[in-house]
Amino acid sequence: MPVSEGHPTPTNRLGLDGLEFIEFTTSQLLVLGALLEKMGFRPVARHRSREVLLYRQGRMNLVVNAHPGAVRVDATGQPVTALGAMALRVADAGDAHRRTIELGAWDLPTRAAAMELIIPGIRGAGDSHIYFVDRHGDFSIYDVDFTPIAGADPNPPALADLHYFGVVQTAYPERTAAWLEFYQSLFGFSVLPSGRFFGVVNTGVLLESPCRKFFLQLIEPPAADGDVVWEEGLLRIGLGTPDVPAAMRALQARGIVFVDRGSIRPTDRGAVTQLYPGGVSFELVHSHLSTSPA
Amino acid sequence: MRLTDFGMDTITLAGPLEAKLRAMQAAGFTQVMLSARDVVGHPEGEATAIARVRASGLRVTGFQVLRDFEGLSGHLHDYKVDIAKSMLQLGHALGAPLLLVCSSTSTHATGELEAVVADLRKLAMLAVPLGMRVAYEALSWGRHAHQLAQAWAVVERAKHANLGLCVDSFHALANEGAVDTLDMIDPAKVFLVQLSDFLWQQIRSREERIETARHLRVFPGEGVHNDLVAELVRRLERRGYAGDYSFEVFNDDYAQMPLASVCERAMRSVHWIAGRVARRSLPVLREVRAGPR
Repeated sequence: MPVSEGHPTPTNRLGLDGLEFIEFTTSQLLVLGALLEKMGFRPVARHRSREVLLYRQGRMNLVVNAHPGAVRVDATGQPVTALGAMALRVADAGDAHRRTIELGAWDLPTRAAAMELIIPGIRGAGDSHIYFVDRHGDFSIYDVDFTPIAGADPNPPALADLHYFGVVQTAYPERTAAWLEFYQSLFGFSVLPSGRFFGVVNTGVLLESPCRKFFLQLIEPPAADGDVVWEEGLLRIGLGTPDVPAAMRALQARGIVFVDRGSIRPTDRGAVTQLYPGGVSFELVHSHLSTSPA
Repeated sequence: MRLTDFGMDTITLAGPLEAKLRAMQAAGFTQVMLSARDVVGHPEGEATAIARVRASGLRVTGFQVLRDFEGLSGHLHDYKVDIAKSMLQLGHALGAPLLLVCSSTSTHATGELEAVVADLRKLAMLAVPLGMRVAYEALSWGRHAHQLAQAWAVVERAKHANLGLCVDSFHALANEGAVDTLDMIDPAKVFLVQLSDFLWQQIRSREERIETARHLRVFPGEGVHNDLVAELVRRLERRGYAGDYSFEVFNDDYAQMPLASVCERAMRSVHWIAGRVARRSLPVLREVRAGPR
């Protein structure tokens, strides 16, 4: 891939190679599942020992974790649906884990049962986790921990070439610099020049993964809005598509509603879905990222 | 400089946590610098201590103090990382935005800059997901870093957004010449200023320094380094420091006084500082006053 002038080549010491899966945690398995199916994801496999489903669409893997111990609760103790984790493909998961711990990441307690894979991970923003996965391709982590759902197409095609584009993370006021350090030092992300954005939500700071396959967007609470309850965590996922209007049409036909008011209006650059139960939303982003297999 | 910029360290007062919080509030303070001992030593347990702090309405300035962290290796390093994680978790539970770490006094600690920098970067990284920052303070009897300039060299080299300095006036004054050091320091990297003075002009030995620091500090305005303390605050203000000031006054006599009396002395010190700093930093006012004479 050509490197633009003045944009230093990022170091990729962990051998990052894209997002292996995104995990939602929820106690509302059916509600979230129905929404994901509207978004074009299909359930393809079930975890052997826990209440966990694997959804897939094109090259995107999405794990819905409804295991009681994994579900997050809000300040009042009520269960909430949340983006629970992002799993990064790396060259060597054990090595990536050791290296990030050595630099000051928090280890996660392992939770594999007998005959299951241990997926090493570290603590991310809020209650979220960052996992390291080095088994992808012919033999995947899903082959060990999941059983295929009978009759389901194991590789359902993507609507409008949808693919993972990035993840939006919230940060407390004036905490963006600390998070930049986190993603730069631990993983080798690089900050995009100020003012360079994708999609229609042009706030905060954008980081590009060292593999150049996905982005992170860090946003702080809007100024002068004291009523917003703002927690750090993963807010929403961005789905890339080469044709935003076509993707919108396909999703609208399936019942998905897009926000069209104020500063957030659908354009060729992107669109944001309404907030669905549990505070879940998705963002469409016009994407230059390739969807063809690497 | 506003009254709300000042707070007190709980170590300055005797008595239970709740009484300290009440006394500070009654005296007009709006923030408190907490010690781990306040929480883990609470007779009703940590959870109660945390709930009391959160219910007090006082803003938490920070949480102290992690000691002898940097420069260790092997199992000693791993042990200290565990201690640091425990302190970060407690601080996080208290809503503290900052962990104070003092320069190491350990004979097992190396002073090699790269090792010290790597350890403090690691600590600063551990604090990121907990929403806390780390402030590094040069203890005046630290083994390798005992001057403000040395602590600044470490922080500057570490270049980590989550790592900054704590300037402690006692340690700065106990080692002469520190006030000028402030001119080399990026004020945005000063995360906290701890204020106190003491009662004699000179400290002759390391032992005397430790003894004075732990038992015989006084509030600014009560000691013998009035000009230096005021100059320290004035330089910080002039250079754009916009963070918190906290009174860290270890004093055995104050520990035998009613809490309200000690908090009154603290509040008197706030006004003393504000007066000294405002008067000196407004040269126009001085000239006008001098005119008619």
